[in-house]
Amino acid sequence: MLFFYFCRIISGAGVPKRWMTKKINTFINYTKSHNSYNFMKSLHKILIFTFIVAASAGIFSCKSQKKIAAEEAAAAEARKIAKAKADLEELLSDNTGLSLDEKESRLKVIKDLNIEDPEVKELIVKVEEKLKREREALMAKERAEKLAREREEALRREGTEKKGLDDYFDLIANSTNLATSNRYIGEALQLFASEEVPVLIIISKSGNIVDYDRPTTIRKYLEYIKDQKVVRNEIENVVYDANGKITELELIKK
Amino acid sequence: MKKSIRLLGILLFFAIAIPAIAQPEISPERKQAIDSLALEKVKDLGKYISIIGNKDTPFSEANRVIDRALELFADDSQMGVSSLNRKEIKYYGIREYFQRLMALNYDRINIEWFNIQYISDLVRQPDGRYVGVITIYQRFTGESDDGLKYVDTTKKDITVYVERKQTQIQGRIIGFWDVLLGDIRVTETKPG
Repeated sequence: MLFFYFCRIISGAGVPKRWMTKKINTFINYTKSHNSYNFMKSLHKILIFTFIVAASAGIFSCKSQKKIAAEEAAAAEARKIAKAKADLEELLSDNTGLSLDEKESRLKVIKDLNIEDPEVKELIVKVEEKLKREREALMAKERAEKLAREREEALRREGTEKKGLDDYFDLIANSTNLATSNRYIGEALQLFASEEVPVLIIISKSGNIVDYDRPTTIRKYLEYIKDQKVVRNEIENVVYDANGKITELELIKK
Repeated sequence: MKKSIRLLGILLFFAIAIPAIAQPEISPERKQAIDSLALEKVKDLGKYISIIGNKDTPFSEANRVIDRALELFADDSQMGVSSLNRKEIKYYGIREYFQRLMALNYDRINIEWFNIQYISDLVRQPDGRYVGVITIYQRFTGESDDGLKYVDTTKKDITVYVERKQTQIQGRIIGFWDVLLGDIRVTETKPG
């Protein structure tokens, strides 16, 4: 009973007033009815008993607090592990919508947590490998794009220097996108006196007889090459004006 | 009187027959070149239709291609359109057909023409034009984002007219062969 109320005092719950009064009265009556030696002897016992009880209560209380703290720490660790696992699995799943840099940054944050969980460690290794592959692929793509840009630039430089009409026909036919083919058409048209320069296409020659396809204009012909993606004719004859611009073009079926 | 009528008949015969006879037959090499030219125009049309139908083609570009494609056709030509979902074949003017093709309610459309060949050689008509029929197979594939997919293969016959014409280019008279496509008729439609 004493221990029970001691614990109540420690925990702040308090002791019932009636019980305290009863104990004090008992103590007064006791001192009245016994001599001082016996009283001192009893008091000594009471103090030792109280000390043991107090010490035991303290130990139990500390143990309980440590246990709670340990449980809270374990729960926090478990949450951290679960969060890390979820993040790593998301990184593995390719559904993050993050850039490679962002994914690498997220992995670094997880690694910095130094989580000692085998499953997390295994996931980290997998994500590292995956991001490494992605990094290599990205670098390869960037290298290829750089090379393509350099090649195109070189072609463009070379082309502006000595590109002929034949080259433009091929470039337009082989262009992979509309913007590029339109740019080549624009450049090719610079060689002509106007967009309406007539283009005659010979379909057959037999002695003095020359058979033509329906005449067209240079713009329409260049657009025809762009649409059909094939060069079916080669240059037969070109007429220039005084400015060196083409005023008439004759082609023949290959 | 009878003698006069017989004489008139003979004169009439020569009046009709001589102009046709007067146009010389062209050499096999030239005829071959015309045959190839007409076949090439049909192939060009197939490519134009593919561009117009393609949902990736920008609107302005599709309209430009429609104008180019229309130049291949004789006036008032019609295009037959069939579907696996109905028995009747509908015929539209060529411009209307292209506009309907552009507006088809699919997210992706692929049209390809194959097995393009003559089923009736170009034959010279009394008026000097050459007329023939070229057959093509068209595979149409339309897909929607919701998973709807329609595929059919249609056999179509295209009437081809080739006519000798002249034009003046920078003071020179140029004789050329004008190839014009006529009606395109559906002869067979099957799935896949």
